[in-house]
Amino acid sequence: MKPHTSRYWIIKYTIVTFALFTPLLWSFRYIRNAYPFTVWNVMMAGGDLQTGRNFFVLRGETVSGQTIDIRPIKLTNALSARTWTMVSATVFNQNFRLSSLHPENTRLLDQFGSVEKLPLGARVPELLTTWGNLYNNQLPSSSPARLKAIRLDMYRWSSGRYADYDTFVESWRKEL
Amino acid sequence: MSRFFSGSALSLGVVRTIVCGTFLIATLATSFQALGQLPVTILRPTGLMKFIPWGFYERLLTPVGMYSLKTALLLSLLLSTMGFLTSASTKCSLVLVVFYQGLVRSFGHYNHDEMVAVYYLAILAFTPCGDAFSFDHWLRLKKPNQPPFAYGFPVFLMQLLMAWVYFSSALVKLRVAGLTYLSADNFPVLAIFHSLDNLHDTNFRLAFWLPQIRSVLPFVVGLVLVWELLFPLAVFWRRSRWLMLGLGIVFHIATLLFMNIFFPYQLAMYLVFVDWDWVAGWMKRS
Repeated sequence: MKPHTSRYWIIKYTIVTFALFTPLLWSFRYIRNAYPFTVWNVMMAGGDLQTGRNFFVLRGETVSGQTIDIRPIKLTNALSARTWTMVSATVFNQNFRLSSLHPENTRLLDQFGSVEKLPLGARVPELLTTWGNLYNNQLPSSSPARLKAIRLDMYRWSSGRYADYDTFVESWRKEL
Repeated sequence: MSRFFSGSALSLGVVRTIVCGTFLIATLATSFQALGQLPVTILRPTGLMKFIPWGFYERLLTPVGMYSLKTALLLSLLLSTMGFLTSASTKCSLVLVVFYQGLVRSFGHYNHDEMVAVYYLAILAFTPCGDAFSFDHWLRLKKPNQPPFAYGFPVFLMQLLMAWVYFSSALVKLRVAGLTYLSADNFPVLAIFHSLDNLHDTNFRLAFWLPQIRSVLPFVVGLVLVWELLFPLAVFWRRSRWLMLGLGIVFHIATLLFMNIFFPYQLAMYLVFVDWDWVAGWMKRS
């Protein structure tokens, strides 16, 4: 590269700085994330003991009859730190509340009439099938540890105290 | 002020290697093949990703599509880590990384760990970061012939960005929650919630011990807020730098152990605060 003057770099870096910080300041001002720009609003609301919270546990039923916990991070490690929100969004049909729906989701939505009429977790079976197959593919076909079914159990912590964390709510099960 | 902006080509080259190398290692360790098997119907494109048609996602989330994306990412990141054809390879890495990070956020949520590193990549793409500590330099394709400002300002900008992350994070908490953020239940409730499922990357259970010490937790949370607000000192007052960064390491390890939330990229990006010219000089001397 030919040598440039300091003036050239001052102009260039001024543009880079504005291009980067203007959207970041906008995100901060309105507390809005618009990928790839963000506001660092992690844990901004804080925790409240009286607010109920749902959580999920992924489990498998093996050929030998055991029920085991399955950690999805070992199956789809690309979703690191994002698996729990993906599951929650899928259970609550957030993928049917987009401005532009996937054609398959549009078709399903047309059958039911509206998002409110959709069963909870309309696409959870597909997700479970994927995780079940990924788990079984790690094992030899004769292994008794292979899964015959996989399920997602939903619980709610709504006791309002530091006890009774896991009130069972619902389960989705998929035979493999 | 000029002492903040002055830097060397070597220092900028090392930073390029760290930023691109971090993404390269993470890409190597990630199973794109498994990601490609997830149903496209659960995707919720976020931000810029909304402009991409569904047909493209359909083709991408296949074994061939994901293999192609991983190959392109690895090749581009390898070149930019090595500093070969740096001007083109850093821009290419930026585009591919922004796309990939947007894709994984379209499955889950807009988490923040990698974002600082993404912005660092954006800064590097418009700098002469291949003028030293690079194959371009060793092959005599590039030489450090720019004024010190050209090499120093990008590193200053990266440090400023890191300071913005923590400083703005504290301000947002105070804006949204106000002083209720210091309530005794804030930290234990969040920590326990993130420790109940088996969908987080780790499964530490230390959170369940927090209710026993809930009376002291407002002070702990308050100290974290003060540390976040004071983080800009790490940029402007060098003597405080290692204290602020040391507290940052403790903070992120604590969020891992108590909340199962970890920011490895952000910790790796702390390395932009190291004086790499001093390190190079020390290595030469010894």
